[in-house]
Amino acid sequence: MKFMSLFKKELREMLTPQTIIVLVMIYVGMFMLGNVMGKQIDKIVEESSEIVLCDNDDTSFTKSMIEAMKKPDANTTNTVKLVKLESDDYPAELDRLGEKYIVIIPKGFTEQVESGKTTEYIYVSRMTSLSTLGNVSAGSETAKNLIQASVVSTLYSKKMIEGKLTSDEITQLNKPVDLKEITVVQNNTANIGASTVAQMKTMENMFLPIIVFLLIMYSSQMVLNAVSTEKIDKTLETLLSAPVSRLSVLSSKMLAAGVVAALYAIVMMFGMQNVVTKMQTGGDTAAYKDAVEQLGLTLSGGQFILVGLQMFISILIALSISLVLGVLAKDAKSGQALLLPIQLLSMVPYMLSMFMDIKTLSPVVKYIIYAIPFTHTFMANENIMFGNTTLYWGGLAYQLALLAICMTFAIRVFTSDKIFTMTLGGGKKSSGGLFGKKTQQHED
Amino acid sequence: MDNKNINVLEVKGLSKQYKKGVYASQGVTFNVRKGEIFALIGPNGAGKTTTIRMISTLLKATEGDAIVDGHSILTEPEKVRQCITYLPDEAGAYKTMTGTRYLEFMAGIYANDANQIKEFVERASEISELGDRLKDKIGSYSRGMIRKLLLARAMMPKPALAILDEPTSGLDIINALDIRRMIKKLSSQGMSFLLSSHNMLEIEYVSDRVGIIAKGHLLEVGTAEELKDKYGTRNLEEVFEKVVLSR
Repeated sequence: MKFMSLFKKELREMLTPQTIIVLVMIYVGMFMLGNVMGKQIDKIVEESSEIVLCDNDDTSFTKSMIEAMKKPDANTTNTVKLVKLESDDYPAELDRLGEKYIVIIPKGFTEQVESGKTTEYIYVSRMTSLSTLGNVSAGSETAKNLIQASVVSTLYSKKMIEGKLTSDEITQLNKPVDLKEITVVQNNTANIGASTVAQMKTMENMFLPIIVFLLIMYSSQMVLNAVSTEKIDKTLETLLSAPVSRLSVLSSKMLAAGVVAALYAIVMMFGMQNVVTKMQTGGDTAAYKDAVEQLGLTLSGGQFILVGLQMFISILIALSISLVLGVLAKDAKSGQALLLPIQLLSMVPYMLSMFMDIKTLSPVVKYIIYAIPFTHTFMANENIMFGNTTLYWGGLAYQLALLAICMTFAIRVFTSDKIFTMTLGGGKKSSGGLFGKKTQQHED
Repeated sequence: MDNKNINVLEVKGLSKQYKKGVYASQGVTFNVRKGEIFALIGPNGAGKTTTIRMISTLLKATEGDAIVDGHSILTEPEKVRQCITYLPDEAGAYKTMTGTRYLEFMAGIYANDANQIKEFVERASEISELGDRLKDKIGSYSRGMIRKLLLARAMMPKPALAILDEPTSGLDIINALDIRRMIKKLSSQGMSFLLSSHNMLEIEYVSDRVGIIAKGHLLEVGTAEELKDKYGTRNLEEVFEKVVLSR
């Protein structure tokens, strides 16, 4: 009985309306994230049954192989779109055909198969993102499996008629085809698989989104705590009644948080560089580095600054939102709860950008995600590498506009009565709500 | 002119409206003379803090004005802030700072140069009577010590007007007496005070004149003796009861 009374009291204190709102937001956020990722996986599954193929060999064997691709078994049906290439300029050919990838059966493929040698086919894909799911070569995997099955089946049929297998033929049966992967980034090509590049690049850049995420979290928390603690302890009243402008108080808090955040960013960046350097010691590192150079997937000093610029603006947006949230906090506990929307707003694009190419999402979802200002920072690296300049500058313009709005609002709150009268979730003092709704103040 | 007749603060019809038709304070008018301790007394929710916050330029007045040392709170709030210091009710201080560091920080805001900072800190250290404890972190201070430190901070720039909201609220008898004596001493040196309190017996002891405020209206102004004579009572609490009931 006594325990239950204590338990109920604790639960009531912890499960406040703000906590419930945050829980609902987390659920909605996760639900949205799950749906978006589910759709992306459905798309990959769907893509695996669509094969864009160029048959340069054009023999009865390749024709029967294509037929087998269309209906590999009684339960599976694939769509094979046959295209013709006009040149070996793969970036131009992908653009002309409007395709993201092409499987190419080269001339002499049948001859190689029949001569009992391991043969090769080519997979050309355009890379537009560094995300994990954005670079799954579903089409090439399906094609590879089906081509391999066709070659093996042909060999078996032949041997059924001819008799024993030669050692070359045994080797061929074990590895009937080789896949030559070509990745296209903008107008550059390199003989490497897009998934390999994405995998290595992800490893290389894995700390960047973590740094962005942590910086947003850390700087928000610093400013929110600084403002809420000053308000709760009434040291803010002391400061604001002193001969110092309110803008000085506001800007000093933001600048201090910005400086500490920048220090964190520098330390994290150096730490990250060290980790990445140590991790890149494998055998294929040189080949990978060459391929990345060829594809232009490296950032110049100027481009680094552009990524840093969006990072800085994201932090400023988070700081200005946190300033207002700090004013709203009634106590330390509500201050922590108020941080959760920012955490959620940075977590959603952080997760999405790691797993999928946000650009390829359905328009509604995509623009909802774009509306989160932090999304553009998580995408900045990728947008610059893949030449999505419109998206980068558009994102930057949006961030600047939002920063201006957030800063104006924060300045308005800080330079008006709202700084003392505004609280969230009712309570003792609420003369002007967040959106200007006023109720009577109950104080002396 | 006698210094005692110079008005350091003139409050003229000051009102604060939070919601249409609902005033936290309405048409409040009074003045504070040089070297005077003027106290606004009233129960919780009477409008004392709102009035004080408007005079301290923290809240904007809906109507009326207040002139502090010749400067309007509406048109010259920056100049007003140079003439006043404000000590909020139940105010805290930065717990991670030492007492001395806090005084230095606040002195840096009020002072014009390094010498003045030094002068302010020395004065505040003396007023606070905290001695070596000023070297300790504020987080280790008792409530009474924090109040003394804050009061010393409010006094250090020798403001034309010190505004103290419930200066002894929550303090034990010894600390409250210390602070009342401190206020009396500084007043005798020419500093003006605007206090607020709901402890009317304390106000009767410490203040030169009193303003009785209830439901946002200033109902009476006078010395404790004048008010007691007028209403034929023994103390300010009884005056307050009669004033409020008569409205």
